[in-house]
Amino acid sequence: MFPWTDGFHWTATHIIFLSLFFTALAIIISTVIFALWRAGSDFRKHRAAAICWRDNFAELPEAERHCRHQLAGRVESRICDNAFDCRTCSNYPNFASLPANVPTRNGGVCYSDKLLYHRGHTWVRHEWDGTYAVGLDEFAIHLIGRPDSVELPSLFDELESEGIAWTMTKNGHKIRVRAPLSGTVVSTGGPEKGWFVKILPHGEPNLRHLLRGPEVPGWLASEIDRLQLQLSSRSGGPCLADGGMLMPDLMDAEPKGNWDAVLASTFLDS
Amino acid sequence: MSETALIDQRWIARGAERTSTTRFLLWLAPWVFLLLLGIYAAGLCFYYGLNQTNMDNRFAFGMWIFLDLAIIAMGAGAFFTGFLVYILKQEDLKPVLNSAVVVGLTCYSGAVVVLMVDVGQPLRAWFTFWYPNTHSMLTEVTFCISCYLLVLILEYIPVVLRNRQLRKIPSFMIFEHQLHKLVPVLAGVGTFLSFFHQGSLGGLYGVLRGRPFVYRQGFAIWPSTFFLFILSAIAVGPSFLMLVLSTVEKVTVRQLVQPSVFRELGFISGVLLALYVAAKAVDTYFWLNVTSPALGFGPWDYYSYWPLSATFLFIATVPLGLIPAILFIVPFTARRRQWLLLAAGLACCGVLLNRFVFTVQTLALPTLPFDEFPKYTPSWQEVATFGGVIAYGVIVYSLSYRYLPLFETSKGGDKENVSLD
Repeated sequence: MFPWTDGFHWTATHIIFLSLFFTALAIIISTVIFALWRAGSDFRKHRAAAICWRDNFAELPEAERHCRHQLAGRVESRICDNAFDCRTCSNYPNFASLPANVPTRNGGVCYSDKLLYHRGHTWVRHEWDGTYAVGLDEFAIHLIGRPDSVELPSLFDELESEGIAWTMTKNGHKIRVRAPLSGTVVSTGGPEKGWFVKILPHGEPNLRHLLRGPEVPGWLASEIDRLQLQLSSRSGGPCLADGGMLMPDLMDAEPKGNWDAVLASTFLDS
Repeated sequence: MSETALIDQRWIARGAERTSTTRFLLWLAPWVFLLLLGIYAAGLCFYYGLNQTNMDNRFAFGMWIFLDLAIIAMGAGAFFTGFLVYILKQEDLKPVLNSAVVVGLTCYSGAVVVLMVDVGQPLRAWFTFWYPNTHSMLTEVTFCISCYLLVLILEYIPVVLRNRQLRKIPSFMIFEHQLHKLVPVLAGVGTFLSFFHQGSLGGLYGVLRGRPFVYRQGFAIWPSTFFLFILSAIAVGPSFLMLVLSTVEKVTVRQLVQPSVFRELGFISGVLLALYVAAKAVDTYFWLNVTSPALGFGPWDYYSYWPLSATFLFIATVPLGLIPAILFIVPFTARRRQWLLLAAGLACCGVLLNRFVFTVQTLALPTLPFDEFPKYTPSWQEVATFGGVIAYGVIVYSLSYRYLPLFETSKGGDKENVSLD
């Protein structure tokens, strides 16, 4: 094996064979070390959250990847291929300038024109002190009601956009809520305060990826449709919606529903 | 739904429909029993020694080596599919790549475990690495199989880390992301290693000058069996993968693979099998007319002891070689699933028979005038140990199918495209 091992010969066969073997082994080991080093580098350069999100997004079914411009009725059909990151979408300006056309339908979920909405069912509000308050939107509140427990980030924790901002549990289900923007946590709230964290971004944040205006009702309507399908009986299959309103505390009201799938779809989790 | 079933469901990929926890456990139960029986039998071999087997000085290679060679050939689908996808960019085969990796991993790890039992001195297994006999084909086989098993484990890790719960751990997900990017490098190394150990498995018979039944001439240091084993392995690997995929589809009662993928695997198998049959025919002709007579043996010196032995040569080459090749290539049969599966089954039986002939028949044939033609029947310990390996393969595949994304393809966007540098 090595020159100092009994039986080693300085012959061409020995040298060629062992060199090939050691080369193959070195490539295998270097590959693992390189992967570990690159992974460490991703964490050091704060790319980890984005990579995890991209990976999760790649697993989303097509029905959950509609472009915001489709939800706003600006285009008939468009599937997002950019992980809902309109900040880096080259097509955004072309579509954003088109007139919106949203069917008005109130599914029992309120929304505000003053708030910006993240696809993971959080809202963002710019506060007077330059921070951004983040809370759960009405749709999420209707589903969860009051969570059994909430685990908020510590003060001065750094949050990455699309990373996990806080977690909650409800009826044994763990819910991971995504951060709608990056920044430092400067204050924590909770369900009783109506907001969960206040984030101080580093510099002026680009919030183009958050939904606003006519996009919100279209998005919420599609989310209610999706919820209806996921909670409908498997044997019955999808039925024509009969209208109706989304009732509060749905997880308590319908404990036998497939909440594992519903929560994963709602909060864009795997 | 019970608490256990609820926990079990949380480990299953979102949107993937799997059988209930109870039914899954019932499916696993007989395989776990077989695995435990195999472990017990292997334990007997470790504790009491190889007298638990029916191998002896004449039959130093028995059922274990014969089946080891066969499953290593069938496991070649892993490296060959990786080679086709990552090196030759045959993206159509990507949906079956994870499955091929699991099949390859179970085949190779199972073979290595049986080899450890067969060597009989597992505590000295490291001797083969520390004091290598570089003139032995077996040394090359040991080195390459060990390294390739390492490659297969590294190819399997990203699949495991994509489990629904494991991927929630950011460090796992990032490591998976980075390792996945480097898998083409591993596929390249795997191809190199597999090429040589598949060849050396054939080569180790081809260099046996004292066994004219398998001794062959060849190119440089490699006898013709070196190349024939490579060719037969890469021909049968995709066939075995097809059989596994089809069995999984039958058991799970759902379509997992597009028919076009089956056709492509079949076509690859068919072309390679046709090449193999042609090469084997030339090799056999040259051996019977030149190599063997030069060593003082005529054809009937091999085939007169046991009536079936001559038939084996014909069966392994024509019904289990040429016919499946034709079935794979002719459009009428290549378009129909049942014909493809028949061809795949025949091809796999062909490689089993070929490895049996090379291992058992070779050792049985007398080489000296006073020699006899002995018979070998494996002991129950040998059978049970190998049964344990098969059970291990089924269990690993079943668990992988249930909890890992073996057949899922990317649904949205390009996850590699993270432009944050």
